[in-house]
Amino acid sequence: MRIFRILYLKELKTYFLSPFGWLILCFSSLMQGFALTATLKEFTDNAVAESLVSVVFNSPIFNIYFMFLFPVLTMRLFSEENRSGTIEGLLTAPVRTWQVVLSKFSAAYTTFLTLWIAAGVHFYLFTALTDVPPPFTNGELIGAFLIIALIGMLFISYGCLASALTSSQIIAGVVCTFILIFHMFLGLIPKFFGEQIPAAGFFNFISSPRHLVDFTRGLINTGTIGYYITTAVFFLFLTFHILDFRRWKP
Amino acid sequence: MRTLERVNPHHRFSKKNMIEISNLSKSYGRHKAVDQISFEVTRGEIVGFLGPNGAGKSTTLKMLTGFLPPTSGAARIAGKDIFRESLEVRKKIGYMPENVPLYIDMRVKEYLRFRGGLHGLSGGRLRKRMGEVMETCGLTQVRRKMIKTLSKGYRQRVGLADALIHEPDLLILDEPTNGLDPNQIRAIRRLIKNLGEKHTILISTHILSEVEMTCNKVVIIDEGKIKAADTPENLVNSMRRAGRVTVELQAPKPEVEESISQIEEVTRVVGESLLDGWNRFTVFAAPKTDTRLKLGRLVAQKNWSLRSLSRQIGTLEEVFIELTRKD
Repeated sequence: MRIFRILYLKELKTYFLSPFGWLILCFSSLMQGFALTATLKEFTDNAVAESLVSVVFNSPIFNIYFMFLFPVLTMRLFSEENRSGTIEGLLTAPVRTWQVVLSKFSAAYTTFLTLWIAAGVHFYLFTALTDVPPPFTNGELIGAFLIIALIGMLFISYGCLASALTSSQIIAGVVCTFILIFHMFLGLIPKFFGEQIPAAGFFNFISSPRHLVDFTRGLINTGTIGYYITTAVFFLFLTFHILDFRRWKP
Repeated sequence: MRTLERVNPHHRFSKKNMIEISNLSKSYGRHKAVDQISFEVTRGEIVGFLGPNGAGKSTTLKMLTGFLPPTSGAARIAGKDIFRESLEVRKKIGYMPENVPLYIDMRVKEYLRFRGGLHGLSGGRLRKRMGEVMETCGLTQVRRKMIKTLSKGYRQRVGLADALIHEPDLLILDEPTNGLDPNQIRAIRRLIKNLGEKHTILISTHILSEVEMTCNKVVIIDEGKIKAADTPENLVNSMRRAGRVTVELQAPKPEVEESISQIEEVTRVVGESLLDGWNRFTVFAAPKTDTRLKLGRLVAQKNWSLRSLSRQIGTLEEVFIELTRKD
């Protein structure tokens, strides 16, 4: 646990003791603000049946910047160590490979979670500073942050895998983006081919856009929670083996 | 296919040996980078691991440190198997990889604290060790600097401090003086020599003078195979050229050649005429022999005029070239 803590703190420092993490934080806060402002404008112009939370987290702006976060957060993780050769020093120290993988994942995930503090504050300010009854409930808000945390967990594990595969940050970022697009595409298959196809149930089960809609309405599904956690663990397991492969390939 | 040797748990390893390598091989596809090498390193030795570029030095060191697995064969460090007890082995090793990769965005002190932590040091002991290694490696003045602002020589020292921080039993240094200027090389060499008093050291290098000055054993590897493993003195003495003696005489060439050839150890005599009327004879003799005394007596007995008599002392460089030359 001590080794994990040391590695985790070192990774966290690379996000927050450099302009890098603050730039992402600044960018995402700005985009969250835009998304909220655009949605509020829509609310004042038209009558909207959905809650504010649901509309904000399903707005086009949200979808654009949300997908952008993961390659940026994860592309450096392993590829930079591979490129500079520091991976050799790291893995010849008495550390276990899973500690390395988990610490890097955890640091990226922690950074990702801190990005949503701003969004939380926005909604709090809405209730605290206006005398209008909030156009959302706490259940919807909890559901929204829960699904963002879950999707983030999976997407960061995709990013870890992409980064471990290469020694180029650019390639890692591109591969991560491809995996994300493919993931999103799978979830949209029933939309393209119709709900009547036999595999529609499966594609709906793994569809992140659909989960976003459900959870931001306050519909929390434990099956979905299980799906995200197990899939993220699986991709971290693959990342572990990519790193450890070096140690046992003949 | 992996054909790792079975390790007999009842087998007692020699306490004296820090490294025991037996039939270690590593192939990359069809290319055999390391081919069935075996050697031992005794505790307290400074061993120079020599070889031309691409001879398999770094690959061997990477296997010893557990970074790469062997294709076949086995190696033990302080009695622990490098493959099965990798974590235990890594605790005993201080490793400085080739080109010294470091986290350049860290400060020297921060980096050493991080590395010391990974090796299980903490609190007062970590602080004490950091102070000691920074002192030993001459880093105290730059401890607050970012590694990216340091010169190559200083980075090399940071790498060495990193390898030393947990007081490892065995130091493995992969080309520690690569790319340094002569002053820096000297400083690092002196440092290594001092470290040799407490640690067992395995240094890979292709700078021969370095080995001659610091190491008490030399292992020469070429094309993945061990060509020699001995003390530098023994290697030099066993060279083909080592017994060669040059004499400059004023005497008829055929007679001298004839007489010298009679001496027991002499294999061949080559005479040449010098411009000033003297003749120079190169006397080839069996390795590890000294024919100077007998030659001296012969010259006196024959009453030849003699102006020089010298025995060639081989250098490690000549040994190295003799063993690794391709032509």
